[in-house]
Amino acid sequence: MNYFQAILRIKVSKDFDIKNIAKLASINLSEEEQEKLDKDLSIILEHVKALSDLKLNTEQNEIYIHPLEKELELQEDELVESLTHEEALSNAPDSKDGKFIVPPAME
Amino acid sequence: MDIENLPIRKINSLFSNKELKPSELYSKIFDNAANSEASLHAHLTLFEEENLKKAKESDSRYDNGTSKSLLDGIPIAIKDNINIKNYATTCSSKMLSNYTSPYDATVIKKLKESEALFTGKTNLDEFAMGSSTENSAFGLTKNPWDTDFVPGGSSGGSAASVGARSSVAALGSDTGGSIRQPASFCGLVGFKPTYGTVSRYGLIAFASSLDQIGPITKTVDDSRIIYSAISGEDPRDATSIVNNQVDIPSDKTAKIGVIKELMEDGISDEARNEVNKVIEILKSSGYQVKEISIPIIKLAISIYYLIAPAECSANLARFDGVRYGLRVDGKTSYEMMENTRAEGFGKEVKRRILLGTYALSAGYYDEYYGKALQARKEMIDEFTKAFKEVDYLISPTTPTQAFKAGEKTSNPLEMYMSDLCTIPANLAGLPAISVPTGITDDNLPLGVQVMSKALSDNSLLNFSEIIEKEIQFNHQPKGWM
Repeated sequence: MNYFQAILRIKVSKDFDIKNIAKLASINLSEEEQEKLDKDLSIILEHVKALSDLKLNTEQNEIYIHPLEKELELQEDELVESLTHEEALSNAPDSKDGKFIVPPAME
Repeated sequence: MDIENLPIRKINSLFSNKELKPSELYSKIFDNAANSEASLHAHLTLFEEENLKKAKESDSRYDNGTSKSLLDGIPIAIKDNINIKNYATTCSSKMLSNYTSPYDATVIKKLKESEALFTGKTNLDEFAMGSSTENSAFGLTKNPWDTDFVPGGSSGGSAASVGARSSVAALGSDTGGSIRQPASFCGLVGFKPTYGTVSRYGLIAFASSLDQIGPITKTVDDSRIIYSAISGEDPRDATSIVNNQVDIPSDKTAKIGVIKELMEDGISDEARNEVNKVIEILKSSGYQVKEISIPIIKLAISIYYLIAPAECSANLARFDGVRYGLRVDGKTSYEMMENTRAEGFGKEVKRRILLGTYALSAGYYDEYYGKALQARKEMIDEFTKAFKEVDYLISPTTPTQAFKAGEKTSNPLEMYMSDLCTIPANLAGLPAISVPTGITDDNLPLGVQVMSKALSDNSLLNFSEIIEKEIQFNHQPKGWM
């Protein structure tokens, strides 16, 4: 199963599938980890289910974004001090000619 | 005179009157840190040389009468999820063990402008996820009051550092209680400001709508001084706001509420006793105190453990082995990412990323994350209603005193429950402070939490200072100076 198959799968599968979620999160889990995390997540999800019984007074669709309801502001489009090219690449595991180097996308 | 016990304002006046030099204080503090490090492991890095040089520059400023601020020459420890240029910032994760910050966080830029000194970077639960500092990839930090116990978390290293007088004050970050809970466990003041009043630029993000930087200090006034130095709107953090404070009374005309739901099940007798003690003192000073019910607080843990992991799974997607941090090879880019993330993240971080990925995935979004966002709005509304009746809300900071290392590591929910009292302030964006009030039968400190409405931080600090003065908590852990 690759990442894109995992996305399709979660839409059709109604079950909680730890392998599938790990694929979506791009984390390679060992068998042992899968077993432990499957158990842990079931416990946590069982607990948070309490939310589904909540009768909300809040209007449908009214959700929280910022506690102070800050209005979005536009910034002037001007040049400000930022990282240099070298600084931005300084922590890269692999780089060449000013670019990040990664393994091929496909085999 | 034990100079490392003095509050910042007093140290500053000694500096100004030339009775003490910043370099003398720095050496004393650094010796304390070096001596306690083997037993406590509060720090991941200690900066001696370069800061001793800075301390000497501060000496000259006080000599010439050109000192910059109250914080000039004050040694402060920094949680290792806040970037200081040219130093490692690891978040206590294998993922960032080789990362060197190419820039300063805004709070660091501001502290540098104040000419504060840095003592080192402090240990934390990996990526600030945890309540005991046991989730650090670089070993656990111990409580300076009793090394069998945890210092709390995730800013456990910052609290242990100030507790053991290895720094005068520290910066922590608080997403669900990570400043207040360790402050309570280590007998210190921990202050989480109103969301948005301190820039998060340069704080490595865990859950952006909840994260807030704040001080861990010995006194309320020290927290006030640091808050005033680090707060303010920042164009680099779009959620930051102009710090237009609202004044609410802190004298006897102030009305006090005790949160009913945080005095019931799940709260230990010792935590309840501390709150009752503070209520009695306030009543005898002439304050009106009444019980306030905020029913949705019962669901705070459920709301939090959907929203925080959801935001964490998005924020931590950036650790992909491409631009910075660890890389573990693979035949393809995808394989490289999966291997890197498997190797780089510890178990609590994986647990939260997976939980968040699930909560945000198609088909479950409305059921989990959408519902949690609505419930969060409901919580804000309930707090708004409560603050129409009272000015301050009091509760325990933590359901219990500090627990022993290893005690809560087997069941994740049990650890999560230790944040029951602190999480609501993050969900509602409110300012909240923990003030040390007593010592339990096990000789461990414990604090009480006070919350107030958004942007009333200064009034909250004034009111907490009244509690601090009445309580006279004069205890400190022994053997570290």
